[in-house]
Amino acid sequence: MAFLKPSTDKAILNVIARAPFHIYYEGPARTVSASNRVGQFDILPEHADFFSILEPGEVIIDTGADPITFAIHSGIVAVRDNEVMLFVNM
Amino acid sequence: MRRPGAIEKESIQIQTVEDLTGVFESIASTQVAKVKGKVELSKQFFQLLWKRYTSIRVDPNARITNRDLTQGTGKTVFVIISAEAGLSGDIDQRLIETMLQSYDPKTTDIVVLGTHGATQLIQRGIPFIRYFQVPESDHYIDVSPVIEVISPYARILVYYEEYVSLGDQEIKSIDLISSMRSMSEDADEDTMSAYDTIFEPSLDEIADEMELTMMTLALSQTILESSLAQAASRFNAMAVAKKRANELLSDYRLEFHRAKRSESDHRLREVMVSLKKKKQHARTDA
Repeated sequence: MAFLKPSTDKAILNVIARAPFHIYYEGPARTVSASNRVGQFDILPEHADFFSILEPGEVIIDTGADPITFAIHSGIVAVRDNEVMLFVNM
Repeated sequence: MRRPGAIEKESIQIQTVEDLTGVFESIASTQVAKVKGKVELSKQFFQLLWKRYTSIRVDPNARITNRDLTQGTGKTVFVIISAEAGLSGDIDQRLIETMLQSYDPKTTDIVVLGTHGATQLIQRGIPFIRYFQVPESDHYIDVSPVIEVISPYARILVYYEEYVSLGDQEIKSIDLISSMRSMSEDADEDTMSAYDTIFEPSLDEIADEMELTMMTLALSQTILESSLAQAASRFNAMAVAKKRANELLSDYRLEFHRAKRSESDHRLREVMVSLKKKKQHARTDA
């Protein structure tokens, strides 16, 4: 499932993925994949503003180089203006 | 004057104390550095999450204060966050004394975290309704059992220890609900409403989840802060003990050398006296 907003010149995501004591990733990314109660979802640039509770599983951040993958037991994702904030393992 | 052998024996014991306090001092210093980093990370995390929470305009004031208090007694609960073990100087004692200034047994229940705080309360004959071990600060802090106990109370006041600097730790208290409320009043984040944002599963469920998370994190923050302050206090206590042991050791060394000198002076005096006596005998014989 992907919700698109009207295109702007911002083409990449700015991702912040953190746990209380750990920074998994902070920087640009192409996509972020995780799953919520509805199912697995991908966040691409120009995604609509989105707020969701994450289900336990794996988060994958495609940075263009090696993808960053980490397991979570809980989390919240907030997407706004190509900024993706992942608060996990709280 | 004591014998040099006895002084030497005692000075060896003091030397051991000095070595031990030195070890404890460096352990505490390492712990301060380790926990300090975690406190900073945790604070940043809390601020980022709070920024997002306040953006979903669900009126945090109403939600946080709108908890189900039907099971509660309308009483206040004091949450005391103390050290798990001793050797932390007088910081836990100061914590209990500060708490006692506003404690009224008729209207207030006490929940204590940390064996040291619980022991201090027992010694003073102050009852508490629950005791929890302080979670290991090197790991994820699961405070959900504490949240479960304190959430029915009308007012939750947390007494904790705050790290100001390595030489200075203060006793603080926060009203968990009011402090969250005041933070939401200061928030300047733009609104994310159901009109322009997709909420999954729903705005209400997300708000509930975030509210619980924020409370958990706020309590975890105070535990971490206390842990940092306790490590700093332990460092100070050990530094003072080491200095005292060092001073004692110098005194013992001085006393030892004086005793040695006195012993050799005494022997010399004996030799001189016996020589004098021999000479007198020799003169009498002659």
